Amino acid sequence: MKISYKWLKEYIDIKITPEELEQRLTFAGIEVETIETLGEELKSIKVAKIIEKESHPNAEKLSICTVFDGEKNLQVVCGASNCAKGQCIAFAPVGSIVGNFKIKKAKLRGVQSFGMICSEKELGLSENHDGIMVLREGAEIGVNLSEYLDYQDTIFDVEITPNRPDLLGIIGVARDLSALLGLELKLPETSLPISSINISESLQLKNENSEKCPRYIARLIKDVKVEESPEWLKKRILSVGLRPINNIVDITNFVMMEYGHPLHAFDYSKLEERQIIVRNAKKDEAITALDNQKYQLIEDDLVIADSTKPIALAGIIGCQNSQITNETVDIVIEAANFLYSSVRKTSGRLKISTDSCYRFERGMSDINAKNVSDRACSLIIEIAGGSLANGTLDSFENIKEPVQVSLRPDKVRSFLSIDINDAKIIEYLENLGLKLIEQSSQKISFTIPHYRNDLTREIDLIEEIIRLHGYNNVASKLKTQNIMNKELFQLRRSVQDFLINEGFYGTVNWPFADPESLNKLKISENDLRRNFISIKNPIGKSFSVMQTTLLPNLFKNALYNINHNQKDLKLFELTKIFKKSDNISKREDFTVSGLITGKFLEIYWNSNQQEVDFFDLKGIIEDLFDYLKIEKFTMVKSKENFYQLQLGVDVLINKKIVGSFGKVDPKIAENFEIERPIYTFELNLSEINKINCFKKHTFIEIPKFPPVLRDLSILVSKDYSFEQLENCIYSTNPKVIRKIVLFDEFTGKMIDKGFKSLSFNIMFGSDTKTLTDDYIKKLFDKIVKNLKQKYNIRLR
Amino acid sequence: METRLQFLIDQARKEITEITSLNELQSRKSHYIGKKSPFTELMKQLKELPKEERPEFGKKINIAKNQLQLMITEKESSLKQLAYETSLSDNIVDITMPGRRRNKGALNPINKVWREIEDVFISMGFDVAEGYDIEDEFHNFDALNTPQDHPARDLSDTFYIDNNILLRTQTSTVQIRVMENHQPPIKIIAPGRCYRNDNDASHSPAFHQVEALVVDEGISFADLKDVLNLFVKRLFGQNIESRIRPHFFPFTEPSAEIDIVCLKCLGKGCNLCKGQGWIELGGAGMVDPNVFDKLGIDSEKYSGYAFGMGIDRVAMLKYKIPDMRMLFENDIRFLKQFK
Ligand SMILES: [Zn+2]
Repeated sequence: MKISYKWLKEYIDIKITPEELEQRLTFAGIEVETIETLGEELKSIKVAKIIEKESHPNAEKLSICTVFDGEKNLQVVCGASNCAKGQCIAFAPVGSIVGNFKIKKAKLRGVQSFGMICSEKELGLSENHDGIMVLREGAEIGVNLSEYLDYQDTIFDVEITPNRPDLLGIIGVARDLSALLGLELKLPETSLPISSINISESLQLKNENSEKCPRYIARLIKDVKVEESPEWLKKRILSVGLRPINNIVDITNFVMMEYGHPLHAFDYSKLEERQIIVRNAKKDEAITALDNQKYQLIEDDLVIADSTKPIALAGIIGCQNSQITNETVDIVIEAANFLYSSVRKTSGRLKISTDSCYRFERGMSDINAKNVSDRACSLIIEIAGGSLANGTLDSFENIKEPVQVSLRPDKVRSFLSIDINDAKIIEYLENLGLKLIEQSSQKISFTIPHYRNDLTREIDLIEEIIRLHGYNNVASKLKTQNIMNKELFQLRRSVQDFLINEGFYGTVNWPFADPESLNKLKISENDLRRNFISIKNPIGKSFSVMQTTLLPNLFKNALYNINHNQKDLKLFELTKIFKKSDNISKREDFTVSGLITGKFLEIYWNSNQQEVDFFDLKGIIEDLFDYLKIEKFTMVKSKENFYQLQLGVDVLINKKIVGSFGKVDPKIAENFEIERPIYTFELNLSEINKINCFKKHTFIEIPKFPPVLRDLSILVSKDYSFEQLENCIYSTNPKVIRKIVLFDEFTGKMIDKGFKSLSFNIMFGSDTKTLTDDYIKKLFDKIVKNLKQKYNIRLR
Repeated sequence: METRLQFLIDQARKEITEITSLNELQSRKSHYIGKKSPFTELMKQLKELPKEERPEFGKKINIAKNQLQLMITEKESSLKQLAYETSLSDNIVDITMPGRRRNKGALNPINKVWREIEDVFISMGFDVAEGYDIEDEFHNFDALNTPQDHPARDLSDTFYIDNNILLRTQTSTVQIRVMENHQPPIKIIAPGRCYRNDNDASHSPAFHQVEALVVDEGISFADLKDVLNLFVKRLFGQNIESRIRPHFFPFTEPSAEIDIVCLKCLGKGCNLCKGQGWIELGGAGMVDPNVFDKLGIDSEKYSGYAFGMGIDRVAMLKYKIPDMRMLFENDIRFLKQFK
């Protein structure tokens, strides 16, 4: 629903800016979806006066005006025939923007012009282009046009929740704001003059379905003048997104927007036998509605009818046969309440959506029907003249007792956990229109105003109290701790999960070490791992220091299992290693180590049983890093002495070594009494966690254009690495080359000595177009050319 | 011409009946129905007939063509059905043969139960705190109310690195570290490795404990009992009751030992519980105000409880492992049991 800031101000003296108001509305549960500022574009246009007019020496139709803009005189060339000395006009100075044009200094037929005198059309105010817009005499010179026309306004488009039909009018919103801001609500005054006619003599009302129409009020106004609405009314109607039609229709719409309660006006002369009957539709009855559509009715639909025909679909839309036209003289004003479920059924079935049924479907108030009837009649007499027949026709029989609801103030305080006294609770609720009827320290009782049917229980009142008190004013009571190192905790678990999935078994060993074990690993004399923390009273020499690597214990575990005839092993341990430091927090690092030997996969009926090799291990490390979301790592030849020549790799992240993996030198394995191929890895998890190199997932658009795949088989000297060749291919066009897969590698009899054969599958792709065969061929040739130049390859 | 048509129909019918493969049918189909089909040829020859016979004969050709089309469609679906049935019988395998598996590993039961304990406590809102294996005497003894001359401080019980640096003998050290650095509320567990200079069938020089600590306003003895009960049920099962009975620890007051219903006999009495129906799980108690005072926590405002137990012992109880040494042998035949 659209709410005009200016209109709102008629009922409540808001002192806060539209921006602050937006916040208050939203946090009171009236969510502002968009804000629109009106009149901005007219702010650079000024009210000015033509103080001199001369004819242009070189052009008959042009004249040269001297314009006073409140500060200085300016020379302006004008082409309009109606411009005259002494007029107040809308002046666009140099630099202002009119329509889509920026006004610049100009020379018109040899005469300088500093600005433009505008027409209404140029300003977007109307379609009128008959000369310049002439303003009222004596208008204040120098003010901007937006201010002169009173065009500045802010329009809030708000979302009204279905439980609050009372907010479907500006007064309802003003009432909520008055409670929220502690300001007085000013309701419009009505004056209904007495006339010589009586309604009962001119019109008859019959309500045949008081269940679906709890109240129907009809009033008669004679001798109205149907015409265009006055400016202020049109402006209001436009500001909330409606279209002005004529003064009578505009007034019914205005009052609907004001009170949130719809009304309807009929042409009295079209009512057969001067009757208004509220009844169910007859079988096969059809209407032509104001939207020019024909609707077939069923007996369940409620209509307003005269003695022969329906004249409106109750609460939804009027019929053409009784609409207000320029010829209309006497009118009947309907203000009623229709049952929400009935309106919803009919509008839903006929797929009609109007401002009126939108409101009735949410439930209107019987009492408001009277208010809007008074207000509409008063405005019609004021604007369209005419005389109001004395009395009303009102179907209302029994005025319902107002609903009573009680609350316990202690419950309010404990439920909301806010410090609020009884007086404040009462103040909040009274501001919302509730009436206090009884008060004790245990219980406070109120009657609920007719427009707040949503308040029926204590908890409803508690909700209102906190809405006004402010959700933000509830202090947090949660006491939190932040002790856990969640990242390191999660990292350890992820590593465990990954390795279990890869078929590894976790071991647990005593974290003691034999200093001799580092000699067995050929770890150099000055290596930090020899900087042991020694135990003064160990249980034995083999357990005399704290471990600095997990490998010796894993070798021990492997040996134990091999000796027990368990020769296919994947073992790991994730625990602490220790190093000397005065800083307690630097002494202990979580580390994971693993060991593989024997068959990589367990026996299976048609798999080829392969002993583990280097690339099995490398694949595990790469997959692990993938799993841990570590993207940027590098692998270089290891500096460790315990790996077999060329088969050890150090892993670096941010240039820091975080671990290594590889095939253990058989002689080293022998030192640990193991006589079979052993592969190991060791990674320092505390270090990895500290570097904080984890990738965050961010969605990447899925390619719209299909990729193109090409195979490339080459012969190349063994001196060149896969990595070198891969880089060379990529660098040919890193944007288009998406992926390079090595799918074959071999050496041997068929291949020249010193050479190897490599086969790549290259994926090309583009985000913006389908790659043509021609394009791919050129790129492919370029790749081959680069490879030949740099690495002297031959195609196979 | 009439005979020509009849001949065509008979020939086509015969051909189609004898076709056995879908490919063959496809090629005959394009022959008879396609642009250059013999029927089209026949249509072209229509003009040779007397004018009044043309519509009649044209109709006949069309009818024949439609019949043929129908025949081909029927043949097609019967061939497809046949192919489908053949594919079914060709693909029958021995479904009792084992599936292709990527064999998974497992954690050592110590780590397995360690993670379970963490998860139970995390689900109850606890943080997992880290401590240090290598500690000082203050955190391991002094702060925990252990007197200077207490036998626990002996070299024969504790591994020393230096005069006052040692390998922690209990995870309670983490309590102290957390309380030094954080004001309440505190709700943590601290699992970790501890050390004692002991090595025999029932003692390992390195073993594992978990300690819980809760400090806040209004924490009572009842909270301790409730959390313990809940923890035991969630870890061991809904039917496992727990109880506490008075005991002594230097840093809690009142102190208690925790028993749970014997997991083997469920309380009836057996050799594991020595006929008592209950087995000991660990120690517990309300944090001694002295401990708070030493750490600058207002013991009037705050209260708290702590309890601890051996993770290795829990693993042995839970999985009915008879010998503690098996936990540290890392025999793969043993580890495979805990998949
Ligand atoms: Zn028992």
